[in-house]
Order: sequence, then structure tokens, then C-alpha cells
Amino acid sequence: MSTICSVTEEKALEINKFDFTYASADEPSLKQVTMPIAKNSITALIGPSGCGKSTLLRSINRMHDLYPGNKYEGEIMYNGRNILDEKEDLISLRVNIGMIFQKPTAFPMSIYDNVAYGLRLQGMRNKTELGDRVEKALKDAAIWKEVRDRLKHDANGLSGGQQQRLCIARAIAVEPEILLFDEPTSALDPISTQGIEELVTELKDKVSIVIVTHNMQQAARVSDYTGFMYLGELIELGKTEELFVTPKERLTEEYITGKFG
Amino acid sequence: MTHIIDKIFANATRLIAIIVLLITAWIFTVLFQESLLSMQTFGLDFVTESKWAPNLEKFGAFAAIMGSVISTFLAMVLAVPIAIGVAIFLSEIAHAKLKAPVGVSIELLAAIPSVIYGMWGLFYFVPIIRDIFGGIGIGMLTAGIVLAIMILPFMAAVTRDAMNTTPDILKESAYALGGTKWDVIKDIVIPYSKAGIIGALILALGRAIGETMAVTFVMGNVHKVSFDLTQPATSIPVTLANEFTEADTKLYFSSLFELALILLVISFTIISIAKFYFLRRTRRA
Amino acid sequence: MTAIQKRVIINGIVMVLSTLSAVIGLGFLFWILFILVSNGIEAMNWDIFLFEGAPPGYAESGLKQALVGQLIIVGAATVIGVPLGILAGTYLSEYGQRSKLAETIRDVSDIMMSAPSIVVGSFVYAVMVIPMGHFSALAGIVALTIIMLPIILRTTDDMLHLVPTTLREAAFALGAPKYKVVLQIVYRGAKAGILTGVMLGVARVAGETAPLLFTSFNDNYMSTDLFAPMASLTVTMYNYATSPYADWQRLGWAAAFILSMFILGLNIIGRLILLNKKGK
Repeated sequence: MSTICSVTEEKALEINKFDFTYASADEPSLKQVTMPIAKNSITALIGPSGCGKSTLLRSINRMHDLYPGNKYEGEIMYNGRNILDEKEDLISLRVNIGMIFQKPTAFPMSIYDNVAYGLRLQGMRNKTELGDRVEKALKDAAIWKEVRDRLKHDANGLSGGQQQRLCIARAIAVEPEILLFDEPTSALDPISTQGIEELVTELKDKVSIVIVTHNMQQAARVSDYTGFMYLGELIELGKTEELFVTPKERLTEEYITGKFG
Repeated sequence: MTHIIDKIFANATRLIAIIVLLITAWIFTVLFQESLLSMQTFGLDFVTESKWAPNLEKFGAFAAIMGSVISTFLAMVLAVPIAIGVAIFLSEIAHAKLKAPVGVSIELLAAIPSVIYGMWGLFYFVPIIRDIFGGIGIGMLTAGIVLAIMILPFMAAVTRDAMNTTPDILKESAYALGGTKWDVIKDIVIPYSKAGIIGALILALGRAIGETMAVTFVMGNVHKVSFDLTQPATSIPVTLANEFTEADTKLYFSSLFELALILLVISFTIISIAKFYFLRRTRRA
Repeated sequence: MTAIQKRVIINGIVMVLSTLSAVIGLGFLFWILFILVSNGIEAMNWDIFLFEGAPPGYAESGLKQALVGQLIIVGAATVIGVPLGILAGTYLSEYGQRSKLAETIRDVSDIMMSAPSIVVGSFVYAVMVIPMGHFSALAGIVALTIIMLPIILRTTDDMLHLVPTTLREAAFALGAPKYKVVLQIVYRGAKAGILTGVMLGVARVAGETAPLLFTSFNDNYMSTDLFAPMASLTVTMYNYATSPYADWQRLGWAAAFILSMFILGLNIIGRLILLNKKGK
């Protein structure tokens, strides 16, 4: 059984009866997941490791297609179309749905080129336009002040927290509608973590956010909606303040009170 | 008692390990001593003269050195693009079901003795070259191509290994921004593994220049510098393989030893550059 | 045409080119393999194992002398090279570790592994063949041992390095002396890896021709005298293949086939041992 709250806002995504099976597995790793994702809000996904929260996140930008043999079933509706359709243009899809990973993934190039990368992929060549967009993205990612004097330096010279904010800048530079965060602070120290959390909260005016986290407090701090997943199923989706205070499902309650996990 | 055994064991292993250094040093020393006569007789002319006339006691290694350089260059020009293509195919394009079998067969082919590549070249490739370009089919061009084919599996395998060091998460980040496979390869994989790829290619170059058997069959052993690549030619290893058992005078032997020394120094330098300049980073952590 | 369309097209072109180069490369290599196997199988018969090489035209002609010589030369090089290589590798991993001496030995071995093998042949010619006054199996054995040593040394070093430190510490904590820890714990932990390394090392030297050309030289008749020239599969193959006689060339292909199957077999078994270990 599962309890899915209704989402009153406009929806960024609607996941319907979604199954996902890895190439190497017989059993689906995600079973009949149905979940609305609200626009310009933050939806957190929590659950014990192996529950399928990252798998679900990586389905939304079809990351699983990089490895042959993985199978999707059901629907993920986005802008009126099912993005699981075979005809879906994955390149445009990924431009519109960005992603931030567990570890900072600064590319082996300069800070400037990292942020400009996605823009250049879309064919932007104009130097002033590129410069403006890079600056704006770095400002939005709250890292402009730290890097403006060394834009031509190798991005790998930045600290872990700075690199992660650089990756966020890189992702928002192409102005996506949705941003997916896959445990973005798991490799960071507490202070950098706080910085990223503040940044995520500020970003929701511009984009819809789905964040996977292993840290319940983080979900409680940043998100508007929280989904609790267990063994490949979405057990409960609720407004964050309600889910953590008055969970509707017994499993959710046991998980957030620390009875398992 | 155990202390004594412990000491003996430790020192025995060290002694044996040091032997490897000693042998290497000994090889250099012996080759140098044996080449002294030739060095004193010909001086620098040895490397600039191309006249190699055992009956006149006149030895100039220019043709052999140029032969080594040209055949290796030819082999690299042909093998590098294909090896990189194969490496890209294996690390980024091939379906998971193809990756392992194709990768392993490339590695197994790298283990096939080079003498077999030479034999194949002599019986099956020489006639093709002869039909296309005329002449006898034996010569620089054939040697370069056979050398390229022989070095290809090794080159492709080490290049692939270098490319495979790129973390998946880095590649995924580029895909997540809407990159195509080629975007990811040229902007992420190649820049990330650049040092490893260059090191791999230079290492293959070091192997190619010292390769004997793949080229001995198809080179011709003629000491002449010719711009016509279809003409028979020679290289340092080919000269050594063909003439060591024929040499009859002290000076002839000494000249051959000097050739061996030159080859050793050249390949030692190339391999050192590959190892220490480019591959240092990827060595054991 | 939009930027994305352009990228998709370029991507398609590169994918085709890269796949094509894989097809070309593999095509050549499988062509060689096919030639080797088809000529080899055609040339195989029992006579190969029963008779020595006879002059062209004689019916009862084989590779007995080369097979026996190959076994003696490669076998002796293995018997000498493997224990020395393992002990030297043990020094690097267990004693020298990151010391300057150990690092130097590692670097020099790395280079020697890729150095031209014909140079080793000329070295052995100078220090053995000239003083003895003639070619000998022993000189061939020494040449192959010198080539094998750095290979075994480096794989042993790497394989011992993979044994977890905690395993060593646990043994030390029980009061075991270091040599016992190495012999009884570390070697046991690295057994599969070392065995694979040895097999790949043997496979590598078994295919060497150049260093034997003027050390063990060749002999058309059976010989087990280490102080006399001795045939090997590789040198015999070279001599027969470059001869103008069809039946000698046929023997050359048979030698090539037997040698390749031996080397591929060692490589495959070596890989399976490691794979099996990983699977556990």
C-alpha cells in the first residue's frame, strides 16, 4: 500500500505506474511508482540504500540508456509527452533536465570552460554572450566571488565544495526546467554541505528540483515534498512537514524514527 | 634462529633483486666495450655513412638507422589512428556483450609471437604489395605495414586501458548536459586520459623500433637509403638478425655490437620517456 | 541546421569511423589467425612429433628436434627465471617497498620488459658464445632467462601488493617472523596472481626468436647437449619459412601453429585462473 498526497501546484513531472529493470536483473528494481513532482518546488527522495531512489532519479533524464539492456515501463510525463518513448530526443531532454552527482565532477578544463561547456554544446559561439551567461550562472551558484579572478585556471584546483557549486553553475547555465540532485553533499564536509543546501533552496524559484539524499535531516531542511521509498516502491509521498510529523504509513514512521535503515 | 633465517631471507631477496640492475648495467658495458673498435675506427662516420661493405671492412650504419626510423614512422602513421579507433570502439561504443570478447581477443592477439606476423607477411602480404606496386614486394613499405599490424593489438589494448581510467561519473555528467558520445569522448575522455594515451602510444613506438622478427622476413636487408618505399631496405634489428651469424672479422662484429648499442640506447630513451613522463601518474598508487 | 543536429551528425560519422577501424584492425588480425590455423592444421600430422627435420623431398620429416629443444630451452629458462623473479619481486613488495633502491629496480625492470630482445641476444653472444667459441643451448637459456626475469619480478611485485596489509598484520600479531609471514601468508594470498604472471611470462619468452638466433642457434638433428647448438620452434620456423622448399615451409607452419596454440593456451588458462579467483 502507498499513500500519495495530492500536489496542488502545477506539475513539472508526472510519473505513472513506472517500472524499471536493470539489464543484469530478472526482477524490476522499481515497481509501479506513481508520483507527481511539483513545479518550482523541491521534492526529496529518501529511503534506505538500495531502495531505488537513485535509480528513479536517473530514469528522469534517461541516464540508464548509457548502459545497454536496461528496461523502462510505464510513463514519465513531461511537458505533455512520455519521455520514456523510444522517439524521445535524449540530447534535448538532458539539456532541459540537468543533473548533479554524488561527487563533484569538474571536467578536465578551466573553470570558465566547465561552465561554458553546456552552452557551447548548444552551439553558442558568441564570446560576450558566453561570458555573460557564464558569469550569471556562477553568480546564481554563489561561487562567482571566489573564482572571478581565476576563470582560466584548471577547475580541479578548486576545493570539493567549490567544485560541486561549479557543477551546479554548469548545470544551470543551460537554463534547465528541472534539476536532479543525486546525493549532492555525500562527499562534502558539513560547511560545504550547508552552502549547497542554501543554494538548492534559492534555486527553486527558477527550476523544479528533485533531490535524492541519504540524510533525513537534509530532506526535512530543504524540501517541500518528501517521498519515502522502500524496496523499489514509493511508500509515501507527502508535504515534508506533514510526512516527518504525521506519517501516514507504518513503514515511513518506522524509517523516520530510526527503527531500520 | 628465526632471526638468522629472517635475515638470510631478506638479504637473499635483495641480492636477487639487485641482480636485475647489475645485468642491465652489464649489458650496456659489454655492448660498449665490444663496440669500441668500431667507434675508434669510424667515429661519427658510423652513423652518417650509408656504405656497409663487409668485404671492404667499411661499415656505415646510416641506412640501417634510417630504415629503423622510416619503418617505425610508417608503422606508427598507419597504426595510431586505427588503434585509437579500436580503443574508442572498445571503451565507449561497443555493446557490453561485444566489449569483453573483442577486448580479450585483441589482448590474445598481442600475445602471438611477432615471428608469426613476419611469416604471414612474407607468404601473404608480399605478393599483394608486389601486385600493386611492382618490384619484388619485399621492402620498406611492406615492413612498415606488417609492423603496424603487429603492434596494433598492443597499442589498442594499452590505449583502451588508458581511456578506461576516465571515471564513469565524469562521463555521465557530460551526457547529463546533453553531450553526444563523440562530445564526451573528445571533451572528457581524451583530455582526462591524455597523458596515458600518449604514454601508451610512445610505449608502442619503443616496442616497434626494437621489433626484429615481424620485419626481418619482409625487409630485404639491403643497406641502401632509398626514397622509393617499395625497394628492399634494412633496419638495425634486421641487420643484426641477418648478419650476426655471418660476421667473420673483429671489426665486422664490433660494428654489429655498435648497432645493438645504438638500438638499446634509442629504445631505452623512448621507453623511459613513455614511462616516466607520461605514465608515472597511472602507476601504482 | 541547428547546433544539436550538427553534433548528432558528427557523432554518427565518428561512430562509423571508429567502428570501421575496429573492423579493419580485427579483420587483419583474424585474417592472420585464420592463415595460421588453416595452414597449421593442414601441416599437422604424427610425423611432426616422431621425426627430425629431413632434407626437402624426404617423406619422414618432422619437428622432433625443435619441439624437444624448445621444451629444454624454455623449460630451463623457466626453472631458473621464475624462482629468481619471484624472490626479487618479493624484495620489492615486502622489503624494499617504496625505497629508492626498490623504485629504481622497478623502473629499470619496466624498461627492460619493453627493450628489444635482439639486444639481449647480442649481449649473450658477447659474454657466452665468443668465450665458448660456439653456439650453445645454454646461451639461449641465459638469454631467455634475462628476458623473463623482469617480467616475473614486476608481476610478483604487483600481485603481492594486492594482498591486504591487514592479513600481514594479523600474522605478525600472532608472533610470526617475517619470512614465515611472506612464505605462508602473503604467497598463499597471491598464489593465483603469481601463477598467472608466471604463465604469461613463460608464454612471452616462448615466442621469442631474435635472442635465440645467435645464442642457441639451430640444429637439424635431435640434441640434448646443453653445450651444443640446439633447435627451437621459433628459429626452426624462421629457417624453414625463409627456405624455398614447400615441404620445409609446411613444417614452418606446423611449428607456428604448435607454438601459437601453446602460447594462446597459456594466456587463456592464466586469465581463467585470475577470473576464477575474482569470482570467489
